[in-house]
Amino acid sequence: MFERRLFVHLDWLLLGAILLLAAIGLAMIYSTTYDPVRDRVGPQFFTQFYAIGLGLFALAVCLVIDYRYLAEQSHLILGAIVLMLLYVLFFGFSAGGSRRWISLGFFNLQPSEFAKIALALVLAMFFAENRRGARNWSDLAIAGVFLAIPALLIARQPDLGTAVTLVPIFLGAAFAAGLRVKILVWLAIVAVLTAPLAYSFALKDYQRSRIQTFLDPENDARGAGYQQIQARITVGSGGFTGKGYLQGTQGQYKFLPVAHNDFIYSVLAEELGFVGVAATLALYLFVIFRSLEAARAARDRLGAYLVVALVSGFTFQVIYNITMSAGLAPVKGLTLPLMSYGGSSIIATLASFGLILNVRMRRFTN
Amino acid sequence: MIEDRRSLPRRLTFLQSAVMAVFAALAVCFWMLQVAQHQKYREMAENNHQRTLALRAPRGTLFDRHGTVLVRNRNAFNVSLVREQARDLDATLARLARITGVDEARLRETVDRHRDEPRYRPIVLIHDASDAQVAAILARRLELAAIMVEQVPTREYPAGELAAHLFGYVGEVTEAQLNRPEHASLTSGAIIGQSGVELTYNDRLMGQDGARRVVVNSTGREIETLGERQPLEGQRLQLTIDWDLQQAAERAFRHYGYNGSAIFLDPRNGEVLAMTSVPAFDPNKFATGIDRATWTALNTDRLRPLQNRALQGRYSPGSTFKIVVAVAALEEGVATPDFKVHCAGGANFYGRFFKCHKAGGHGTVDMRTAIEKSCNTYFYTLGNMVGIDRLHKWATALGLGVKTGIDLPHEIEGIMPSTEWKRRRYNEKWYAGETISVAIGQGQVSVTPLSLAVMMATVANGSTRHVPHLVKAVDRGEGWKVVPPPPPAAEIRMAPSHVQALHEGLWMVVNAAGTGGRARIEGRNVAGKTGTAQVISNIGRQRAGKTDRDLRDHGWFVFFAPHDTPEIAGVVFTEHSEHGYLSAPIAKHVMEVYFAKRDGLPPPELPPLPGVPAPRVPAAVQTEAPVARLMRSTRPAEAPPASPIPPAAPAEATPAGPGPARDE
Repeated sequence: MFERRLFVHLDWLLLGAILLLAAIGLAMIYSTTYDPVRDRVGPQFFTQFYAIGLGLFALAVCLVIDYRYLAEQSHLILGAIVLMLLYVLFFGFSAGGSRRWISLGFFNLQPSEFAKIALALVLAMFFAENRRGARNWSDLAIAGVFLAIPALLIARQPDLGTAVTLVPIFLGAAFAAGLRVKILVWLAIVAVLTAPLAYSFALKDYQRSRIQTFLDPENDARGAGYQQIQARITVGSGGFTGKGYLQGTQGQYKFLPVAHNDFIYSVLAEELGFVGVAATLALYLFVIFRSLEAARAARDRLGAYLVVALVSGFTFQVIYNITMSAGLAPVKGLTLPLMSYGGSSIIATLASFGLILNVRMRRFTN
Repeated sequence: MIEDRRSLPRRLTFLQSAVMAVFAALAVCFWMLQVAQHQKYREMAENNHQRTLALRAPRGTLFDRHGTVLVRNRNAFNVSLVREQARDLDATLARLARITGVDEARLRETVDRHRDEPRYRPIVLIHDASDAQVAAILARRLELAAIMVEQVPTREYPAGELAAHLFGYVGEVTEAQLNRPEHASLTSGAIIGQSGVELTYNDRLMGQDGARRVVVNSTGREIETLGERQPLEGQRLQLTIDWDLQQAAERAFRHYGYNGSAIFLDPRNGEVLAMTSVPAFDPNKFATGIDRATWTALNTDRLRPLQNRALQGRYSPGSTFKIVVAVAALEEGVATPDFKVHCAGGANFYGRFFKCHKAGGHGTVDMRTAIEKSCNTYFYTLGNMVGIDRLHKWATALGLGVKTGIDLPHEIEGIMPSTEWKRRRYNEKWYAGETISVAIGQGQVSVTPLSLAVMMATVANGSTRHVPHLVKAVDRGEGWKVVPPPPPAAEIRMAPSHVQALHEGLWMVVNAAGTGGRARIEGRNVAGKTGTAQVISNIGRQRAGKTDRDLRDHGWFVFFAPHDTPEIAGVVFTEHSEHGYLSAPIAKHVMEVYFAKRDGLPPPELPPLPGVPAPRVPAAVQTEAPVARLMRSTRPAEAPPASPIPPAAPAEATPAGPGPARDE
């Protein structure tokens, strides 16, 4: 199954860019958790460090096993993930008002992060096996069921943010598989029409207030709008060249909450300035472009769909998090892939890039 | 299948273009925030983590003339709120109220009062917090990020009520005061003098606040200090007050159980040695932000403890005014000291009979004896000869009816009538008969105790009316510098023979058969004069039912000593004591302390009250212990003297029913 010569085709450039981003993320976690009084860095730094190691192992595993084999087993993988999500719902480890984790003693596993990979595999397989691709409503409906099962379970945790990131994976796969533009337009219209209904009936109070706050943050400067205003101050005060690594006042003095996690990019913007922002934006853009090139080069439809599905989820999360980091989107608990603190997130993200590299590497094999 | 393969590259290109567009938009957004609007956000970040803490300057210490500390500062803790740091103001206030036991509504009211100030400026919520409150707040620092505990120097008056009116008090600058140009440099929350010396010398005493710029984290904890400007202590003042005399005066008031006022001056230069007004208040209560209940209580108290009677009370001078009549007659050449009048118990003027207080009359008296005996007939006659306008001239020269110019705020002036005054005030002609009443200090004339003290000091030195003043020296931090006394208010330059005659008469009041015997000190040659200030006319007295103790007359005693080379002069005013001679023991005690101290003798004791609860004064008049007297609102009815001087009623065209003024 694995041949040594395949490494010739490994995209070292993409791998390098990914690792560089992860390293920058690690450095920013160091900065945000460093305690100058005790001259000690927070435990999150080491957790992240080991998680990157584990993630590289996962990447290697996802790389060496032929993605077609994995896709064939995707229904089993998704099934296992669904079982884990069910387990989480009843026995999971809870923190901050939601149950998201399975406690493994040394590590809290967050199955929802891996659900993204499982969903991408299942959908790529489904659309690739389907002769018509994803052209009509019935195909879409079947694929929608695959999306709905994990999405609803995750939303129940509740973790609406992660549940929502499954949607771009679904849309990306469908779009790559030739989903008619007309259907896309219809979906968009339905989404727009149902949004007010969802706003009134499906969202919880705190979610509604976050949206209101986003539209008018000054109105609630000390409540929910606080994070958003602080995020903007953090980014804006960074200036062109930044305040210097470890020199940010907003992050260091904890005016910005969960700086090492959801708002890590704000701190990067503060300490490294617009220069750092431009460099990391360029790196992310390169990673996304290069990954989509892998889809273009893919040997088969399965590979192409898989890559597009994974990249869609990744891209959505990157854009949303960065927008939020600048205080330009409602605050949502979405991590910045590759940079934010979060073991499961970094492992799952690296694993998914393993799959992307896998597709490109095997573009000539039969 | 074929179709899909063809459409996929197109779709990938579309995705790539879309991502490119979004990233470009993101870059533009970051450019806007980080480069275009950088200045604004940089300032916001600085306001976030930098705080300027005011380092309050201690006010200057007040010393007495011998270096005793009178007013100083102590360290107190203020609890302040920085609204900018409060994520949830309501919750913060509620929590603070709970752990400190302060009424939440009051905290909120304080915050509301400072609503329009910048959000980064601390608002003092609790002045002079207790140790328990401070400990409770510090223990919950993390929940109370917006709450600051500052150490501030706070004014302390170790003697409590003693000399309260003289020192005055300090308080937070008010909204109205902030708008005045002289307070332009002050910010809300500053502590300034609100009365007394604290107000007059506020600029000197205030000092200059320092500041410290610190970095704080989101929980309000100070991380580091960026810069510090040390506060500059206010200037230290040495007052002219002699603390021993001040204490003696107030002790004597308490001892004899009177309210009132006393002023002791150095007649040679106008220095105030002691000045008191009873009842007083505790200025410490103002220093830490007075609460509404205490303020209301002080303001509505019938005894008016906030009023400085020495310079804000206006009373008729009674017989003490006879000194002014004598000065006017002598200096105008109307009479010599040997001028004699026969007193047969009264005399006729303008068709009316004005009584002397001694029913049988004093017989033939010269000026010295007339002063000694306080003969009304003599001074009716003298006053009539001098006339109201010349009386007005000399009274004014001696400091009556005008402000003394003392360095204390809110001084009022007495009234010294004249033909001009009456025309201006009532648009009426002055009747010569009115002068007769004025000649014995009744009728329209009224004085403040301080102005009467100045009159006495001027008569004592015989030449110069000094401006009474309270500050002797000032220390700006580079050693004591003498503050030059204010220039004299007037030069009188009485003829030495006149001065001598007056002094002899006044000496006889105390040392011969006069009414001031209770002020006699062996070997000290005290000179003085008693007087009674009518509170209400006798007609009014009858109308009021003759029962209220508030209607009883006030007692004056003006004095100086020694009579040939006066060093101390002044006035003692006792409210509702009825007789001037009851003021004399207070003056005596203070002068005893003065001379004992000057000569290095042991301090004198106050004499035991004669037979408490046996009467101090004739039993028929008074049967109660002095303290109890003040408490009572009624007293045994007493027959008023035969005839009244009419009240200062503008409607009455002619003065004075026949008969004398009351006197002792």
